[in-house]
Amino acid sequence: MFKSKKILALVMTVIMSMMLFAGCGSQEKKEVSEGNDKVEVNVFQFKVEIAKELEEAVLAYEKEHPNVKINIQTVGGGDDYGAALKAKFQSGSEPDIFNVGGPQDVKDWANKLEDLSDQPWVDLALPGILSGATMDEKVFALPFNIEGYGFVYNKGIFEAAGIDVSKILDYKSLEEAVKTLDAKIKSGELKEKYPLLEAVFEYPAKETWVTGLHTSNTALGQEFSSSIEAFNAEKVEFKYGEGLKKIVDLQANYSSNGDERQKLNAVDYTRQAEEGLAIERVAIIQQGNWVYGKIKGVDEKVANNLDILPMPIEGAKEDCIPVGVPMHWGVNKDSKAEVKAAAKDFLNWLYTSDAGKDYIVNKFYFIPPLKGYENLEPKDPLGKAVKRYAEAGKTTPWVFMGYPTGWGMEVLGNDIQKYLAGEVTWEEVVTNTKAQWEKMR
Amino acid sequence: MKNSKFWFSFFVGPILFAFIVVVIIPMFMGIYYSFTDWNGIGNTANWIGLKNYIDVFKDKDFLSAFIFTAKFAVVSVITINLMGFGLALLVTRGLKISNFLRSAFFMPNLIGGLILGFVWQFIFTKAFDSLGRLSGLGFLEGWLADPTTGFWGLVILMSWQMAGYMMVIYIASLESIPESLIEAAEIDGANAWERLIHITIPLVAPAFTVGLFLTLSNSFKLYDQNLSLTGGGPYNSTQMLAMNIYNTAFKFDDFGLAQGKAVIFLITVAAISLTQIYYSKKREVEM
Repeated sequence: MFKSKKILALVMTVIMSMMLFAGCGSQEKKEVSEGNDKVEVNVFQFKVEIAKELEEAVLAYEKEHPNVKINIQTVGGGDDYGAALKAKFQSGSEPDIFNVGGPQDVKDWANKLEDLSDQPWVDLALPGILSGATMDEKVFALPFNIEGYGFVYNKGIFEAAGIDVSKILDYKSLEEAVKTLDAKIKSGELKEKYPLLEAVFEYPAKETWVTGLHTSNTALGQEFSSSIEAFNAEKVEFKYGEGLKKIVDLQANYSSNGDERQKLNAVDYTRQAEEGLAIERVAIIQQGNWVYGKIKGVDEKVANNLDILPMPIEGAKEDCIPVGVPMHWGVNKDSKAEVKAAAKDFLNWLYTSDAGKDYIVNKFYFIPPLKGYENLEPKDPLGKAVKRYAEAGKTTPWVFMGYPTGWGMEVLGNDIQKYLAGEVTWEEVVTNTKAQWEKMR
Repeated sequence: MKNSKFWFSFFVGPILFAFIVVVIIPMFMGIYYSFTDWNGIGNTANWIGLKNYIDVFKDKDFLSAFIFTAKFAVVSVITINLMGFGLALLVTRGLKISNFLRSAFFMPNLIGGLILGFVWQFIFTKAFDSLGRLSGLGFLEGWLADPTTGFWGLVILMSWQMAGYMMVIYIASLESIPESLIEAAEIDGANAWERLIHITIPLVAPAFTVGLFLTLSNSFKLYDQNLSLTGGGPYNSTQMLAMNIYNTAFKFDDFGLAQGKAVIFLITVAAISLTQIYYSKKREVEM
C-alpha cells in the first residue's frame, strides 16, 4: 500500500511538471507552422532616433512584399544595445538583422555574420566606407549612414557677439572666439537677446561616450588612419595627447560649471542638448548631426540656426571634424535561408530603391553611405554642414570602433571624469589608459 | 501521515522541478563558466582553470565596489531599520490618521527601483541644486557628481523606499505583544523609555532578525536603484557589486571573469546573511 502510493506520487509529480512545459511546447509549434506561409524577419536595431520612421519604411516594404513580415525592435544608446544584443543571442531568440559597430564588433560577431559581398549595394559604396565592415576581403555589413560631429553652435549667438566664424580655423582662433564670447556673456552684454545664456559650452562628462569615444577620437583619429589600424594597434601612443587635453579643458573651463569642474560628472546628454543648446542656455556643444531632431523637438528655430565648427587638435590637422559610420546592418548567418534572403532584400530595398532612398534622406535625416543619391540632398543644417566638411576633405576618420572592447568608455571615459574631479593629473590619465590598452589587446 | 506525503509531492513537485530547472541548473552552469574564458558571444568557451578567480583578486575596481557595497550595507541596514521601527511605533499609537500614515509610508515600496532612481535623480540634481542656489547652502549643489554625496544619495533613496516595508513587519510584531505585559510594567512604574527598552524591543526581536536579514541581503544585491541614480558614476566610485559584475560581463565582454565574481558574490552574501541570522536568532527571547 505504502509503495503504490509512493509510486503514484512520483507519477503525479512527473505529470504535473510535464504540464508546466506542455504550454510552451505547443506554442512553439504554432510559430513554426505560421512561418511556412509567411517569412518573418526580426530586426534588432539601435537607432532610437529613427525607430518610428523605420516602422513606416517597413510598412511600405511589406505592401510591396506581402509574404514578408518584418518585426522591428529598438534598444537605444550605444552600450545598452551591445548588452541587449548579447542577452538576446544568449536567450536563443536570435534576431535576423542586427547591428555591429566596427572592426572590433565584426571580429566579436564573426561567426554570426553572413557574408554580404555579393549584395548589389557593395558596388555603390562610397570609397573607403566599407572598411570597418570588411574582414578578410569579405563585406559583412551595410553601413547605416555617415555621421559627423564637432562643435555644434548657435549662429545667432555668435552674430550677436560679433564673432566672425569664418576665421575660426584652428585651435588658437577657436580659443580666442570662446574667450571673447565668455567675456560678453559674463558682462551681461547678450542678456537682453539671450536671457538664459550662461556659458559658452556644456560638456556632459557623465556620458562617457561623449568624452571617452568622441572627444578622444579627435586626437586618436589623427594618430591612427582608420579604425582598422586602431584595431590592429598593439599600443596607443597619445601622439596628440596635449592637444586632446586642451580640447577637454576648453570645454570644461568655459562650461556652466567652469569653476567647479567635478560637477560636470553629473551632466548628461539631455542637459547638454535639450536643456543646454536647445533653450539657448549655452552656445556650443560637442555633438554630431544626429542632435538635429532632438533640438528640433524643443525649438525648431534654434535647430535651423545651427552649424558645426571644427574640432581642432593643436599640432595636428586642425580645420576638420571627425566623420564616420556609426553602425552597420548585419545579417544573422544562422537564420533560415528564406529569412536570410528576405533580410538581404529588405536592406537592399531600403538603401537602393527610390522609395527606400526617400526614407533614408528625408525621414531618417541620414547622410547616405552609398552613391546614387545625387538628387537627394540633406535638408537639415547639420547634415549639410557634415557634407560640406566631407566634400572639402576636412575630415578625420572615426577610429573608436577599433578601440579594445570597453576601453573608450569604461577606461578613458572614467579617467576623464577623475581628471575633471581633480583626482588625477592628465599625465596619469595618459599613462593609465596606455597601459590598459596594451593589457586589453 | 502517508497521505500528507502524497500531497507534498503533488504540490511541491512541480515547483521543485521548476526551481531545479531555473535556479539550480543555471547556477551549476554558471560555476562551470567561471572556469572558462567565454566572451558571451561565440560558443567557444575554453577551460582556463582558476585564472578568473585569481584575476578577481587583482581587480581593483571589484575591490572598491566591494568596499563601497559593504559600507552602503552597514549604513542602510541601520537607517532602514531605525526608520522602519520608528514609523511602526508611530502608527501603532492609536492616532486617528494611523491608517493613512501606514499606506503613505508603505507607498514608496510599490514603485519600481528604476523609476525611483530617476525620480530621486531629478530631486538630487534639479531640486537640490535650485534649493542650494536659493538658500546659499553650497552642500546642496552638485549631488551625484561627487562620490560622497553619491553614496548618501543612494542611502537616502534606499531608506526612503524600504523603511515602509520594514514598518509593516514591525507593526505585525508590535501588535502581537500582549497588552497585559505593557500594563503590568506601567503599574510597576516603568516609564515609556523603560517599557520600550525592556519589554517592547526584546519581544520584537524575531522581527529584527527578519528585518536585518532582508535589508542586509537587499543592500548587497542592489542594482536597479544604483543604475538609475548614479550609473556607478562619477568614475565608478559609486559602483556596487552587482553593477561591477554586469559591466564585466556586458561592457568588457568577459563573461568568465564576471561569473567568477558572481560566484564569490554569492558565497559572500550567503555567508554574511547566515551569520547575521545565527546571531540574531540567539538574541530572541521566548514569551
